Amino acid sequence: MTHIDPQVHRVLDGELPADALTAAQREQLAALQRAAQVLSDLPRASVASRVMAEVRRPAPGVGRRLTHWLTERHTISISVRPVWSLALAAVLAAVAVIPGHEPAPVLGDQEGIAQFVGRFPGAKSVEVVGSFTDWQSGAIVLRDDNHDGIWRGTVVLPVGQHEYMFVVDGERWVADPLAGRYVDDGFGRENALLFVRPVAR
Amino acid sequence: MSWRRVVAVVAATVVPLAAQDARDRLAGRVPPSTLIVLDSILQDAAREGLPTEPLIQKALEGGAKGIDADRIVAAVGASATQLRSARALLASAGESRPGDPSEVTAVAAALSRGVSPQLVGRLTAVLPGEPTGPALHAVADLVGHGFPEDSSVDLMVEAARLGLRGLRFLDVAAAVVQQLQRGHSRSAALAEVRALLPHVPPPPRPAPTAVSHARRVAPTPARP
Repeated sequence: MTHIDPQVHRVLDGELPADALTAAQREQLAALQRAAQVLSDLPRASVASRVMAEVRRPAPGVGRRLTHWLTERHTISISVRPVWSLALAAVLAAVAVIPGHEPAPVLGDQEGIAQFVGRFPGAKSVEVVGSFTDWQSGAIVLRDDNHDGIWRGTVVLPVGQHEYMFVVDGERWVADPLAGRYVDDGFGRENALLFVRPVAR
Repeated sequence: MSWRRVVAVVAATVVPLAAQDARDRLAGRVPPSTLIVLDSILQDAAREGLPTEPLIQKALEGGAKGIDADRIVAAVGASATQLRSARALLASAGESRPGDPSEVTAVAAALSRGVSPQLVGRLTAVLPGEPTGPALHAVADLVGHGFPEDSSVDLMVEAARLGLRGLRFLDVAAAVVQQLQRGHSRSAALAEVRALLPHVPPPPRPAPTAVSHARRVAPTPARP
């Protein structure tokens, strides 16, 4: 705090004339008077009025607050047990690696569903070859996801009569034992006979 | 130009195009030595108005199964003969569309399953203008399970009289076989299902999950 000379104090209080001061005291008196002038020139708003003005100012809009939140830096801390972070990493890896299912087919009026099931323990591959594939292999490959020897596949086929056989390990032609309906293939074996019905009956 | 001449012109145009398509499909899929003979069989069939798709399929099947050339040609020739017989039976039975490819194909397949040719006439009489192939296959299903052919066809005639059509005949046969598997005698099984007619249960619809997981097979030519 600046110390004010008592003589200067008395001049400011009007108890002494300014002539009674020394040159140094008169300089201090002039500085104090300039400071007083500056303060008197400032607006005379009270603390209360300034607080109320702040309160009455309209709040910023949602967009402005969101923009502010998004553009400002934030410190985010997450507390996770290591086992959960490992599990999350495994799930993300599985999602990235496992191929997604194809979208469900939209069936036409003249299309139906055929489900093929065959029990071939120890087989390395099983596929269905028939009139619906032009007797070409590779179009309907069955799967044994459980490794229990039961091979399955579901396909969309045209409505009507079809003949087919299973081809095991790419070389062994086998009539579907569950087909229940067979027709002589003209080559000494029997094809399974399948009637596909429209799904939208 | 008379209609006969129009038909001749159309046939002269369409048959070579169909033959070229068949040659393209068979090339590389059957022993090369069979191609000329198969082409001849297919062109004859096309000229007669027989469905050629079952013949092409038989040739492709033989090629896929690794059958030797002579047996492929013999099997395709035998298939053409079966189709010819089926169409003749349908025509003699008074079928209004004896050349319908899917009907000829279905009847030929039923005959190859051992169904008597006379049944075609009986079923055509109760199914005028309707496909008889499924009813014939239903009879073949029952005969395959040891049911007498006469009783089996009687049941299908009754089902047709009560309004069942198309693949619903297969449901009739399936219901009879189910009764048999439940321990009924054959005559009791036939009687049980006859009493149910025409309300035989349809096969279960595929589950929604099965439909959603079904894959489309690569496109193949339209069936006859």
